[in-house]
Amino acid sequence: MNLNNISVLITGGASGLGAGAAKLFIDKGAKVTIFDRNLELAQTTATELGCAAVQCDVADETSVLAALAEAGKINGTPRILVNCAGIDITGRTATKGGPQPREALTQQIAVNLTGTFNICRLGADAIRELDDLEGEEQGVIVNVASIAGLDGPFGQTAYAATKAAVIGMTLPMARDLSAYGIRVVTIAPGVFNTPLAASVLRGEPDDYAGGVPFPKRAGKPAEFASIAVEICQNPMLNGEVIRLDGALRG
Amino acid sequence: MNVEGQVALITGGASGLGAGAARILSQAGAKCALLDRNLPLATELAEELGGMAVECDVSDGPAVEAAIAQVVEKLGAPRIVLNAAGIDIAVRTASAKGPHPLDEFERVIRVNLTGTFNVARVAAYGMIGLDALDDDGERGVVINIASVVAQDGPVGQAAYAASKAGVQGMTLPMARDLAPYGIRVMTIAPGMFETPLAAGIPQDWIDSIIPTVPFPKRWGNPLEFGALVQQICENTMLNGEMIRIDGAIRMGT
Amino acid sequence: MEINQQIAIVTGGASGLGADTVRALAAKGAKVAVLDLNFELAKAIAEEVGGLAVQVDVADGDSVESALATVKAELGTARIVMNVAGIGIGRKITNKKGPHPLDSFLKVVNVNLTGTFDVCRLASTEMIALDPLNEDGERGVFVNVASIFGYDGPVGNTAYAASKAGVIGMTLPMARDLAPYGIRVMTICPGVFDTPLAKAETGQEGFDRLIATVPFPKRGGNPQDFAKLACHIVENTMMNGECIRIDGAMRMGLMI
Repeated sequence: MNLNNISVLITGGASGLGAGAAKLFIDKGAKVTIFDRNLELAQTTATELGCAAVQCDVADETSVLAALAEAGKINGTPRILVNCAGIDITGRTATKGGPQPREALTQQIAVNLTGTFNICRLGADAIRELDDLEGEEQGVIVNVASIAGLDGPFGQTAYAATKAAVIGMTLPMARDLSAYGIRVVTIAPGVFNTPLAASVLRGEPDDYAGGVPFPKRAGKPAEFASIAVEICQNPMLNGEVIRLDGALRG
Repeated sequence: MNVEGQVALITGGASGLGAGAARILSQAGAKCALLDRNLPLATELAEELGGMAVECDVSDGPAVEAAIAQVVEKLGAPRIVLNAAGIDIAVRTASAKGPHPLDEFERVIRVNLTGTFNVARVAAYGMIGLDALDDDGERGVVINIASVVAQDGPVGQAAYAASKAGVQGMTLPMARDLAPYGIRVMTIAPGMFETPLAAGIPQDWIDSIIPTVPFPKRWGNPLEFGALVQQICENTMLNGEMIRIDGAIRMGT
Repeated sequence: MEINQQIAIVTGGASGLGADTVRALAAKGAKVAVLDLNFELAKAIAEEVGGLAVQVDVADGDSVESALATVKAELGTARIVMNVAGIGIGRKITNKKGPHPLDSFLKVVNVNLTGTFDVCRLASTEMIALDPLNEDGERGVFVNVASIFGYDGPVGNTAYAASKAGVIGMTLPMARDLAPYGIRVMTICPGVFDTPLAKAETGQEGFDRLIATVPFPKRGGNPQDFAKLACHIVENTMMNGECIRIDGAMRMGLMI
């Protein structure tokens, strides 16, 4: 899909991977709206990049409906949905100290899985209602999983479960939406230089890049953005999960 | 890595996916060396793109070394290697007609798997001697072609699937082997693309398979494959991974 | 681990794959707790094998805690836990009727994914307190049930595939988390099995169409086939952190 003048929605767009993606989509001529729970940060980022910001809690259906309506008013109904909003709660399944709290999973499901699903179902439904674009394509969904969903690292059972679930719904969603000319592709990033990674790792992501074969550093949000844009531009990419990790295996 | 000004070595570059990638990379400013068994066809495209053509059987060790030496001499040392040479056959492991001929199996393995490895090892060795391009220490990228057949395993494709799964399987160890030198290794697994290789597929099978592509419900264009090749060259974080490009096709049973 | 004399929990044990797993474990000498939403059916199976029936809604945290407490009080701490309870739903993510409802998505995820996690985290905490059984230091084993849908992602199954892919995805990190305590975690991914859940989902005609795509054996899986594999996993200590497909080589393409 040619990105010029296309309305693009990026959740978690105030920082990290989402903000990196927003910058490149704007460079390509897209009309970008970023969603974030943190409105203040979203507005700062939006002002800096030159796009729109809307407050949204992806886990909350009412909030998503309102935010989608507002995004539609500002930039038109989004044809590209980039789901970057996510949280990471670490902890072992059980230790001598007791089981991991149930909420470790339910909270992450609410944001990472249900939040992604929620934007996809409502966003795709809105694309379906739009007048057809010329050409074969009507929309693209880019979801963000994690290599944790494939490699299953220690202390990440709950996070891995939610990210594996995002990976697992990529193909059925692509099949469901194929009749409407909407593609679905998931990116599974490794260690990236983002606030989320910094908070989980309790330090600079680059310090944890020793296990990355090459390049031996944390990824840059601009590199995530580059593959996200390629996915949107390349119509044959569909139903696939792409690792972006410098060959790191957890 | 910025593609502009780089030398790209493309096996099977005279036609199909290799040719599609050659067009895209040339457009982006790369000098393309097309290695192919079909020299006249390779020469024709090389002249059009301002690159060079070399006759080469990828499964032949000394031939590959000689071909790469020619490329280095004429265009410079390749930092981009695309292993697009491949062959396909359709034979069942055993049927009432008899067992799958062993030499046919070996031929497919020799070209698709050994040939890919052969070019990768010689070209990567050449890259090790080059200066790093940037702060990351990047020296080059090797891109292999597997196939969705490696994962989906359709009937009659034991040899082809084995050879392509072999390519998939060596992607990660090769990426790890070459990481200290700043050389990345990636693999692309195409689905149904409009190529001369696909022209050998029986029409009734094609008629039954294209409707099972969810979207877009058509053949892939080699230029779309080429666009992904360019993205892989340009995105340094992509390493050790296989990417399906197939319109979400999964070959069911 | 030898099954004889062990205490085993099977969620969703009252019917389908779970019921035959209960029978197989009991036949090998285990004392089995049959946990199910349907208490009447659970009682019937429990009586048949001389086990214990406990009602549970795996999606409800309090219900899981009290059910596990009941098993502990009546039989003792289980070393074998099989998470077979699951539900399915067929619905495209959007169609002319509108988007996939959120509540049905959540229901599937809550039962299949959160329910499995909940049973694992609570039961494994109890297992940690047990003495190891053998020189390997083995204390217990979990057998979770995912589905080939978690890999093959058929149309109209986003919720179910997401929940089952989640179970697949947590197999390895859970196995790693629990390995220091000698507790294994394995997952079975059944293909099309002849169970009430499958038939309710597809109807007889849809079921037959699916079966036609199974290379060999060309039939619905028999719950005993599943139970055999589940028991083998318990008995084979080297099996850990892996997801096994049991599907007659079936791969789901786009059904057209």
